[in-house]
Amino acid sequence: MRELTFTDAAREGLTEEMAKDPTIFVVGEGSGARGGNFNTTLGLYDIHGPERVRDVPICERGFVGMCTGAAMTGTRPIVDFMFTDFILDSIGEMVNQAAKIQYMSSGRIKMPLTLRGCVGVGGSAATHHSGNYYPFFTHQPGFRVAMPATPADAKGLFKTAIRSDDPVLFLEHRLLLNAKGPVPEEEYYTPFGEASISRTGSDITVVAVGLMVAKTLEACEPLEAEGLSVEVVDPRTLAPLDIDTILTSVAKTGRLLIVDDTYAPCAIGSEIAAQIADQGFDELDAPVRRLNGAHTPIPYSPPLETAVVPQPETIAAAIRDLMAE
Amino acid sequence: MAIELVMPRLGWTMEEGTLVEWLKQDGDQIEVGDMVFAVESDKALNEVEALDAGILRIPPDSPAPGSVLKVGTLLAYLLEPGEEMPTAAAPPTAPEQAAAAPAPALQAPVSTDTAKKRSGPSSSPRARRLAAELGVDWTQLEGSGRSGRIIERDIRAAAQKPEVRVSPVARRLATELGVDLTQLAAARPGKRIERADVEAAAQAPRPEPDQVVPLSPVRKITAERMLASARTSAPVTLTSEVDATELVRLRSQLKNDSSTAARPLPSYTDLLVKAAAEALSEHPELNARLQDDGEIALSAAVHVGIAVDTQRGLLVPVLRNAQEKTLRQIAAESAALIEAAAEGQLGPDALRGGTFTLTNLGMYEIDAFTPIINLPECAILGVGRIAPKQVVVDAGAERLEIRQMMFLSLTFDHRLVDGAPAARFVQRLKQLIEQPYLWLVN
Repeated sequence: MRELTFTDAAREGLTEEMAKDPTIFVVGEGSGARGGNFNTTLGLYDIHGPERVRDVPICERGFVGMCTGAAMTGTRPIVDFMFTDFILDSIGEMVNQAAKIQYMSSGRIKMPLTLRGCVGVGGSAATHHSGNYYPFFTHQPGFRVAMPATPADAKGLFKTAIRSDDPVLFLEHRLLLNAKGPVPEEEYYTPFGEASISRTGSDITVVAVGLMVAKTLEACEPLEAEGLSVEVVDPRTLAPLDIDTILTSVAKTGRLLIVDDTYAPCAIGSEIAAQIADQGFDELDAPVRRLNGAHTPIPYSPPLETAVVPQPETIAAAIRDLMAE
Repeated sequence: MAIELVMPRLGWTMEEGTLVEWLKQDGDQIEVGDMVFAVESDKALNEVEALDAGILRIPPDSPAPGSVLKVGTLLAYLLEPGEEMPTAAAPPTAPEQAAAAPAPALQAPVSTDTAKKRSGPSSSPRARRLAAELGVDWTQLEGSGRSGRIIERDIRAAAQKPEVRVSPVARRLATELGVDLTQLAAARPGKRIERADVEAAAQAPRPEPDQVVPLSPVRKITAERMLASARTSAPVTLTSEVDATELVRLRSQLKNDSSTAARPLPSYTDLLVKAAAEALSEHPELNARLQDDGEIALSAAVHVGIAVDTQRGLLVPVLRNAQEKTLRQIAAESAALIEAAAEGQLGPDALRGGTFTLTNLGMYEIDAFTPIINLPECAILGVGRIAPKQVVVDAGAERLEIRQMMFLSLTFDHRLVDGAPAARFVQRLKQLIEQPYLWLVN
């Protein structure tokens, strides 16, 4: 199968969808003729022009509010934030308007709004450009949150996001944007709420989010040599969350570790742990454990930055420790 | 409901106090705030006031005034009119019992229900679910999880073992005395193991521990060479029953020849070395060695290794150029080699360079066996016992005779030679044994 980067795969999905549906348009700082800071819209300005691939000034609340209104009128806007950190400036529009309008209109108004950007720690982007924030959006009713861990899912989830009538956050880890992987030639959509098993195993279940999937798979190599059989589950979407697949895996292994590079308190790991403790209590042979990034603003210093998020070595150590329970 | 009056704690450091005197009499109606008794602690004399109302009942066995009492010691009750003193249900706390328990004021509220639930080892939910499914009593297991937690694998292991029902005393004793409860249980299925069973098992004679012997140099070399042969050769063993009657007769005649009585009498091994040397000269593909370069060396000279059992282990001295030696020479030389082997005086050269090996287990009443090839040689001949048997010597005339029969077992390396030539060699050897006069011509 051919190999594409996350960015190229998602842009291919965007290209396909824009060709099919003239109500789809993209706004973002530098998204127009420049093709986006991360090449997310490269070449699309030449095809569709400034009406559908539109540059906007640095005014997040303004253009998110505008796109929310546009979505209410029946278009399918895509807001490209580049760095998700700047989504914070538009929280009011997102939470109070985009996430609630379907409820407030008794479903008469749809909200086919896609909000995309890169998340995560890496490359010394420092504390203003290293945020994750996805647990916050899974906490709010109304949003869908997609976190691809492979280029194929980047394309498939993005296409599903664009087609969704709910507001979707499509979040890619910055260190994955240029990572390559196999992407099918034929058209496909990756459904929301269906986790994928990235690696089958029998001794322990590791639920890994986004970039952590690749890091966990790397950690599995030495563990396999030690005779440990690790099953890795990639939820793909955090809202909706496919708890059934995780439950099935835990029923097999009896042990659960959740690896997530963002902060531990009130995050997706705590949510998964709580649901498994509730629904899968009798399957557990050991306490549920989480491995998260340090609860701190993200440092610029490369060694410190490496130290505040899980790495293959620390993931392997956490797996060994949980196996010793 | 009866209200207990106890020795109060009148300061944080107070452990005990003296009941000085009762300020009220048994049977008095007490009101809240009445001074009921006086206590002397190391600080001061205190009068203790009632916090509840009721009829004062001082049990007959209540401590006498002047006694030094632990904090919490029961002194008396306040009862409702007509209420019985709860002596029978709850006898007054004796001073020493009170000492064992902390004062009520500091006691953590532990209900008996909670205490019951916490008894027994900790266990994972999965382990308990599985225990219920498999019918395993997990409360007596030792967990292998962190801090002794019982986890799934402990339940699965227990489910595979026979059920062990054992009294707690017996279990503790078994650990102390090193008695295996599983074995005890297996010996008497269905019976609960008690203290006496464990004591009896502990006194029963234990099996002698294995004798541990270090590998002698000869044993080590033998082990390495046998393993190398088993791993690298492609052995096939052919067995054939031979009529050795003439051979027995030949040996008996040699034995009875008084003129040569002073010289060593050829053994059956010597006779077979001679016969094998004759046959090998005619079948050199069996008198072969696999060389390091992968080529097969067919030897014109027959150097026969003779397997000798010594105190140091198996030694195989080599009798050289057997094809050109007389039976007498072979007998003299083999006797010398065997004696040297027995006395450990064989030089390394005497153990090298064989082209064929002969091993005779006839004296141990072995009929046939599968010897292991002595690499890099191609073949080894195993010689069985010579025993009289009833044999058909003429099927047409239906004639039976008692003949001296013997098995030959030839193991050859199929990498070097095929089955048919090896079989032809055995056939020729059989012929030479059955008709020893054939040797005379050479």
